Amino acid sequence: MKNFKKIAGLALAAALAVGTLTSCKAGSGSKLIMATNATFPPYEYVDGKTMKGIDIDIANALAKKMGKKLEIEDVEFDSIIAGVSQGKYDFGMAGMTVTPDRKKNVDFTDSYANAVQSVIVAEDSPIKSVDDISSKNKIGVQQGTTGDIYASDSPKNGGYGEDAVVKYKSGPDAVEALKQGKVDCVIIDNEPAKAYVKANKGLKILDSAYANEKYAICVKKGNDSLRKDLNKALKELKDDGTIDSIVSKYIKE
Amino acid sequence: MKDEHLIHVENLKKHYLEGKIHALDGVSLDIDKGEVVVIIGPSGSGKSTLLRSLNLLELPTSGNIFVDGVDITDSRVDINLHRQKMGMVFQHFNLFPNMTVLRNMTLAPEVLLKKPHDEAEKKAHELLKKVNLDDRADTYPAQLSGGQQQRIAIVRALCMDPEIMLFDEPTSALDPEMVGEVLEVMKSLAGDGMTMAVVTHEMGFAREVADRVVFMADGKILETGTPEDIFDHPKNDRLKNFLAKIL
Amino acid sequence: MSFKDSFSQAFLQKDRWQLLLKGFGNTIIITLAAAVLGIIIGIVAGAVRAAYDKNIERMRRRKNASYYILSFFNFIFKIYITIIRGTPTVVQLLICYFMIFSSWRNGIPVAMFAFGLNSGAYVAEIIRGGIMSIDEGQFEAGRSLGFNYTQTMRYIIVPQVIKDVLPALMNEFITLFKETSIAGYVGIRDLTKAGDIIRATTLQVYLPLLIVAAMYLIIVLLMTYIEGKVERRLRANER
Repeated sequence: MKNFKKIAGLALAAALAVGTLTSCKAGSGSKLIMATNATFPPYEYVDGKTMKGIDIDIANALAKKMGKKLEIEDVEFDSIIAGVSQGKYDFGMAGMTVTPDRKKNVDFTDSYANAVQSVIVAEDSPIKSVDDISSKNKIGVQQGTTGDIYASDSPKNGGYGEDAVVKYKSGPDAVEALKQGKVDCVIIDNEPAKAYVKANKGLKILDSAYANEKYAICVKKGNDSLRKDLNKALKELKDDGTIDSIVSKYIKE
Repeated sequence: MKDEHLIHVENLKKHYLEGKIHALDGVSLDIDKGEVVVIIGPSGSGKSTLLRSLNLLELPTSGNIFVDGVDITDSRVDINLHRQKMGMVFQHFNLFPNMTVLRNMTLAPEVLLKKPHDEAEKKAHELLKKVNLDDRADTYPAQLSGGQQQRIAIVRALCMDPEIMLFDEPTSALDPEMVGEVLEVMKSLAGDGMTMAVVTHEMGFAREVADRVVFMADGKILETGTPEDIFDHPKNDRLKNFLAKIL
Repeated sequence: MSFKDSFSQAFLQKDRWQLLLKGFGNTIIITLAAAVLGIIIGIVAGAVRAAYDKNIERMRRRKNASYYILSFFNFIFKIYITIIRGTPTVVQLLICYFMIFSSWRNGIPVAMFAFGLNSGAYVAEIIRGGIMSIDEGQFEAGRSLGFNYTQTMRYIIVPQVIKDVLPALMNEFITLFKETSIAGYVGIRDLTKAGDIIRATTLQVYLPLLIVAAMYLIIVLLMTYIEGKVERRLRANER
């Protein structure tokens, strides 16, 4: 019995090793593996059994243009850049803003969307504009997003410091915490912010934005061929109006 | 009439499995002060159940047990007080393995009888001397042989100054060479006038020490008498059969 | 980037080590408070469950008040243990944070409660198992000397149970300690979250993970060492 367990253990370990080697490695070939974090409507979210959103649709259009089959992995936001830089995924697309720190680890394509970091507050909140937010407030964010990174930065860099920021694993959790009064405001991308405010009574978006930024696709550092292919396909999709129609499908002004 | 005997058992019944098994099937028995009663019988005869019922380690299904004239089967009676006066010795010794020999013996007197520590220890040492184990007072049970452990178990019960001692097959778990030392202690106890109820397979002990021998089978007492009656002139066929097998 | 640069970026720059230290402190206090709460709940629940298992046969025949009280609490604790063991800790934590204590602003007391409640169920089963594994003869010896049930437990059974369950309890607390790493789900900056933050801002993967792993490991090794010492001392009596 002991021996059996040993053998079973070894077999399992071997199977795992082989599995990791064969399944997880991205690369050339006919497949494109994309990493995203599907808790970020309307860019990516899970609807029923399938992932939907602007990024998902654009990625599918890109893959079609490039003649490849798209596979999408839904992972923690923090793991996207790590996985892409290790070559686990071909590219990452998750409403990702280009920042200098991120650029050190991955390369970015041209941007495909403009994004605004908005502030959600309760309708009766004493916070009337972005200027009212201070380090004394509790600021909810989705962990690892640009809203988190900017807000967590030191005050002299335009942030509020780590101690003021409460980091949740998902956007909805941050918004729920806001509703319950656990945080005073939530800093998050404008498009999901609109969706959350629409879905929850008693919340509003401040008129003034916290920050403006651009979304782009990240690829492994030095993978210029993929980056060029993606840029080329992106340009074609922009020119033929595909991207605009995808965006307007999800975002109705 | 129930005041005349130290223990008076009346039509005791113990049923298991919703009445399918009758471990005790209407047993009546008296034990007088200073008497040594040995209960014998084949396994499954109910002799251990009877003994364990005397201090309610087994709850009888029906019937009454009077100790000092008090019916201990009455749920209003504080059985714990009665158990303090009824020492019990088990087949497997059941010493407390995490305590020294001395602590095994002083715990109950100190907690239950509120004896001062020194007094309890003094009494324990006296009893240990009697069974020639005083040099083992500070050892743990696991360091002792089975025979030594059982002798400790006997004196542990004696520390509570019981009126009666119950022995449930005290030598059955012992290696043969250790049986004698335990029986010696029991004999001297009987010699001191202790009231004793003993379930055992040691027929030699029964013949030598018992005032009365009780033969049980199928949950009933089939014959009672002096050792001579039982061993030399058995009347019941089951008893004759039993004796033929073991002697 | 050289190792030295990576290390300096992940650990020294912008006082990032302070972030780790603070997170580490939070992990420790959450674990300690949860362990205390877990022991209290576990002992009560485990003792009730064992008392029920041991005595109910006897009590069923005399159906007095204590029969119903014991049955009631046994039932409650059984449901509690079933729910806790049957659901993931992270879900329990989120339920505590968003549903039970929705008005609490600070996540740390919520986490202490949630992890304590979680641990209590496992401790209860360890305690119950420990009590049930003590030879019936020990109970009988105690009862035959005249101890009542509570006294028998207190003077004879519990000291033996403590010795028996100590390794399992220590194991449970090691598990608990590591399990607090999900506190980040409710916005608490524990050790794991501190590592997450450093990873997110420096975009380094390996070093922050390894530093965090090492800090957990050191504490677990320490706990194991203490357990070994205590156990040896308790066992010394026996042989």
